[in-house]
Amino acid sequence: MQGKTNHKLLEQLIPRLLKPRAGESRPPVIWLGTNTCAGDMLSLLNSLDPGYRSLLTDLIDFRYNYLLGTAEGDMATGILDETMAELPGEYILVVEGTIPTRSNGLYCVIGRRNGEPLTALQAVRELGASARYVVAAGTCAAFGGPYAAAPNPSDSKSVQAVLERRVINVPGCPVLPDWLMGTLAHLIRYGEPELDDLNRPKLFYGETIHNLCQRRHYFDNSIFAKKPGDPWCMYKIGCKGPVTFADCPYRQWNSEHLSWPVKANTPCIGCVSPEFPDGDMPFFEHLPDVKLPGIRTTADRIGTITGVITALGISGHMIGSIVTNRLPHTLKKGFSGNGMLQKLLKKLR
Amino acid sequence: MKSLLSLLIKGKKLRHPWPTRLLHWSYAPAVLAGILSGFYITRPSRVHGFTNMDSARKTHFIAQYVLISSYLARVYYAYSAKNYREIIPDLKDIVRMPEFLKYQLFLTSKKPKFPKYNPGQKIVYTSFALLIPVQIVTGLGLYVTKRFQKPATLAGGLNPLRKLHYLASVSISALAAGHIYFALTDSLKKLKSIFTGYK
Ligand code: HEM
Ligand code: HEM
Ligand code: SF4
Repeated sequence: MQGKTNHKLLEQLIPRLLKPRAGESRPPVIWLGTNTCAGDMLSLLNSLDPGYRSLLTDLIDFRYNYLLGTAEGDMATGILDETMAELPGEYILVVEGTIPTRSNGLYCVIGRRNGEPLTALQAVRELGASARYVVAAGTCAAFGGPYAAAPNPSDSKSVQAVLERRVINVPGCPVLPDWLMGTLAHLIRYGEPELDDLNRPKLFYGETIHNLCQRRHYFDNSIFAKKPGDPWCMYKIGCKGPVTFADCPYRQWNSEHLSWPVKANTPCIGCVSPEFPDGDMPFFEHLPDVKLPGIRTTADRIGTITGVITALGISGHMIGSIVTNRLPHTLKKGFSGNGMLQKLLKKLR
Repeated sequence: MKSLLSLLIKGKKLRHPWPTRLLHWSYAPAVLAGILSGFYITRPSRVHGFTNMDSARKTHFIAQYVLISSYLARVYYAYSAKNYREIIPDLKDIVRMPEFLKYQLFLTSKKPKFPKYNPGQKIVYTSFALLIPVQIVTGLGLYVTKRFQKPATLAGGLNPLRKLHYLASVSISALAAGHIYFALTDSLKKLKSIFTGYK
């Protein structure tokens, strides 16, 4: 019942929040796609409330969008130059994807300018310098993510790594539509949201998945799923919920806020964390792999091997001590006439 | 007071003054509880003596406070009583290492005598002294995740931090097993001394 009223309230509030107030215009937005799978833009298109149409009509003025723009060639690239020249300090730059830095960034060319290739590195640096805000959409842009994963032949980096100024990170693989929509709305209507130490809006990344999880009582009582598909806590099959900050458990996915990984009986893979994916793989293991020069092994195996070596060492030494009569001698000496125990016993007697 | 004590325990040499003993019996159970509950946390199974995550985590968190305070107290005591010299290996220990190893590998039956601790003990105790801060720092990163977000990135994030905490526990467990084995079998007088102070 309460949920229903809340929902109604939101229904009434959202349009008011989004509608530009008198005298307010929609700020220009440039959305660059660098080395990306386009997942974040596609995810944003799934936003329901507000939807993509409302984003366009009420919130922002899309100047450039690598995926949905109709302009091509010089016309498209020209808009970037135009916006930079005419609206410095006004436009919001959203970047989706990593920025390759090897060979002067030639591993990602977003267009041509004066017949020369315009690299993502160049575009992000130039546009970033005079933008009002820079938003990194998705984990690749925010932290490197899959597109900067080992062996990273193009030496790809996050947006923050190639810009001097502050970048607002909105990670996710892909980003949850609300996270991006909410960040944009906040930037436009209320200014910069409160950020955590990794420059993620606390509004969405302020608590661990684990602390918000509906299955937390299964965790506390050690009722664990043995395989994906089991309806219990996913901890033992590698759930990264305890070390991942996001509000998936209550915001949920699929536009209508229907479900999220654990609810679908599969572990959280920690996609909003800076170490994703190299630093938290394998996804179905509790701990990330240990990488030693030339070897890659599970943390568990290191534990087992150390345990076996210790047990062998101790039992070997013990056998040696018994065979050489060292241990029996020590014990005899300890309990012999001049031993403390003996004296104590004598006194007691 | 001191003379009264030595009168009571006549002819006995003081091996461990009370702060060493008090602190040993504070951090030792804390480390053992940390190992047992920690291994339950990493791989929940009744083998580790817990039945649920809640009790294992509570145990771990109580142990961590005892460990942190007793560790800090021991470091302060080592500094103020200058007895860290008994614990940190020096040149003499390196020189006498072969002699010590020969005995431990049963190549000679002559047991070498050392001022207080043998080179093996010194290495183990110094390793504890170095590994426990690793455990405290990585553990705090996992405990107060929000406050320590920035320092956790030094380790590469919370997942690598978890791994570091685990690998340090594996090393501490192996050292603790070795230490307890030698404590129980090397000399019963020394074993007694960690309880009574006197050999
Ligand atoms: C010698 C001492 C200690 C040992 C052997 C130890 C061992 C462990 C192990 C094996 C784990 C499981 C790691 C994993 O697989 O995720 C763990 C978790 C943890 N430890 Fe420790 N630990 C010790 C001291 C500490 C200290 C001093 C702290 C805090 C300051 C601490 C805080 C934690 C926390 C917060 C967790 C994660 C618990 C959770 O996921 O709910 N530990 N410990
Ligand atoms: C039930 C288990 C344990 C027993 C029976 C035990 C026994 C002993 C004994 C007999 C000594 C004195 C050795 C000597 O005088 O030569 C000692 C010293 C020591 N033990 Fe343990 N121990 C135990 C657990 C631990 C654990 C878990 C730790 C881990 C941190 C530890 C750390 C130390 C240290 C650092 C010393 C040197 C004390 C000093 O000089 O302050 N012990 N222990
Ligand atoms: S399913 Fe994952 S997030 Fe949920 S309680 Fe278990 S470990 Fe935590």
